[in-house]
Amino acid sequence: MNDKIEYDNQIVRMFVICILLWGVVAMLMGIIVAFQMIFPSWNFHPWLSFGRLRPIHTNGIIFGFTGSAIFATIYYSVPRLLKTPLWSSSMARVHFWLYNLTIVLAALSLMAGYTQSKEYAELEWPIDILVVVWWLLLAINFFMTMKNRTEKHIYVAVWFFVATIITVAVLYLVNNLAIPVGLTKSYSIYSGVVDANIHWWYGHNAVAFFLTTPLLAMMYYYLPKHTRLPIFSHRISIVHFWSLIFIYIWAGPHHLLYSPTPNWLQTVGMLFSLMLIAPSWGGMLNGFLTLTQAKEKIKTDATLKFILVSLTFYGMSTLEGPIMAIREVNSLSHFTDWTIAHVHAGGLGWVHGICAAAVYYLVPRLWNTNLHSEKLAETHFWVSTVGILLYVVSMWVSGVAEGLMWRAVDASGSLQYPSWVEIVNELFPYRLVRALGGVLFLSGFVIMVVNIIKTTKTAGSGFNPVDLREGSKA
Amino acid sequence: MSSWYEKLSHKVEDNAFKLSVWSAIAVLVGGLVTLPPLFLQGTVQKIDSVKPYNALELAGRDVYQEEGCFYCHSQMVRPFKWETDRWDPTRQYGDTPYSKAGESVYDHPFLWGSKRIGPDLAHEAALRGSAAWQVSHLKNPRETSPGSIMPAYPHLFETDNMLDTEVIKARMSALRILGVPYTDQDIQNADSLAKNKTKGDALVSYLLKLGKDTMQ
Repeated sequence: MNDKIEYDNQIVRMFVICILLWGVVAMLMGIIVAFQMIFPSWNFHPWLSFGRLRPIHTNGIIFGFTGSAIFATIYYSVPRLLKTPLWSSSMARVHFWLYNLTIVLAALSLMAGYTQSKEYAELEWPIDILVVVWWLLLAINFFMTMKNRTEKHIYVAVWFFVATIITVAVLYLVNNLAIPVGLTKSYSIYSGVVDANIHWWYGHNAVAFFLTTPLLAMMYYYLPKHTRLPIFSHRISIVHFWSLIFIYIWAGPHHLLYSPTPNWLQTVGMLFSLMLIAPSWGGMLNGFLTLTQAKEKIKTDATLKFILVSLTFYGMSTLEGPIMAIREVNSLSHFTDWTIAHVHAGGLGWVHGICAAAVYYLVPRLWNTNLHSEKLAETHFWVSTVGILLYVVSMWVSGVAEGLMWRAVDASGSLQYPSWVEIVNELFPYRLVRALGGVLFLSGFVIMVVNIIKTTKTAGSGFNPVDLREGSKA
Repeated sequence: MSSWYEKLSHKVEDNAFKLSVWSAIAVLVGGLVTLPPLFLQGTVQKIDSVKPYNALELAGRDVYQEEGCFYCHSQMVRPFKWETDRWDPTRQYGDTPYSKAGESVYDHPFLWGSKRIGPDLAHEAALRGSAAWQVSHLKNPRETSPGSIMPAYPHLFETDNMLDTEVIKARMSALRILGVPYTDQDIQNADSLAKNKTKGDALVSYLLKLGKDTMQ
């Protein structure tokens, strides 16, 4: 029955190329800013100083790299799951070009210093409007495709996309409200405490609804498709989907503990953060339990290895996050490199792992050929995993050391490290290891890019799924 | 056997419209409960001594935003002894020398920061209140603070980075619409305050405003 439906693979191919392109660019930015934090001479030019490049790194990873992977998966999986062609291929193409125009304008305008100065919502109002336009095009296309479906059941991956598309729209519109003064400058309509709370309601839920729910959708799609095994438990899907999307929204104030944010709000943020462990681990367990059904394949299959490590980091980050949201822990971790360790455990471990699995799953099918080299995929896995460990462990140590030095007092009760620069010097070795971890991680990513380029060279030669279990022949 | 929550979920999960509506409800509840109370009166305790940024200080704040200073510098002293000892060593901020809501009422947007790669700047006026020091530090941070990893900003003081007073006036007018109590005179003062000034001068003026109004 599937054969009768014409699926638009071209739009998926276009977005897959963007995953690789924006991935390399955004990770390269990350490496530059990492080196700028140890060698200030790396601030080569006013447009390339740390304060200008950091938002290009964060926005590039979130909206460029991850965004491309999300859109590729939506355009690939949703028509297939709902057994209907994409409602409008041309609308998807308009989305694609406007989206890429946004990424280019974003990079240029951030380098020029045009910024709203709200983390992950830096882009100035004309670009915000552009984002709203293509998000709306995506939403219309998505919901019309849903309307035309011939499959009665809506699979859980689609639920997560529904929640993503609706919630991101709401968050984006509310947080970006600003009064423009010229094309390149605006002021947030909120101020001080109100602005901070609205912003972290957005910022925290950008993590939730751009880096978690769509990635869970991807996990729910690629894992069963790749292993050809059903997801372990539909009941877990139900419980963790509804509880996850309900609880996540409340947790934003954990970014503002010990600030002048109302105390009740801080407590709400902390409590809901702790509650988040359950639905997060529900998703992780459903993934793990599905994976264990195919455990003999993990040994030799890089795609499954990525999903395994990805789920491991997801579980770890979603336990670590709530712990860091406890006031007393936050008093140590806040403002330190520990936060950086936390986001990169999530970003390099969870987000990149699922996205890499997506690329390895999609490319052979989209270009109708086998992957150029499973061995290179395996190398990518090991190089990036070592990179993640160097990165995350060095930042944990750096963050805790930093937090402890800030509060250390001598016998007389006065600060043991009153000099800020002295603390910075202590952190040098950890930050060096972090930068090298980043270099290693990008090297792994480049190995994937090379592997994919070589794969596309044999496009059309026919895709035959290979059973990678030891001892079995292709 | 289906459990109660499976039955409940079945009512919506295969209906695209109901699924979307219930997802929207699920995510909106948290925002509706936590955000609107902030707008209600009384959430922010006013501090009478806190005044809006003058034309030059505001222009400096815009430079602070352009350069992304807040990615490395917080403006948020937390209520711990080790924080107040570090950020108010000479006790110029009274018995409660930590950041208050009233200090940032004119901050569109807030610039509290989320990471301290460099030191907190909430009390900069008290800690490093010399304009000469600030200029020297911005031009070459390692001159005043050997070992600093901050980028250097000598270009901000060059003549191709002069301020445009008309732009500043337009920005102040926009902020007035948002409720910052600027008088016509405040806005006109841009002509004198920002005339022949560089972005660097403005930035220094902003840095010296940080913590100035609450200093005792």
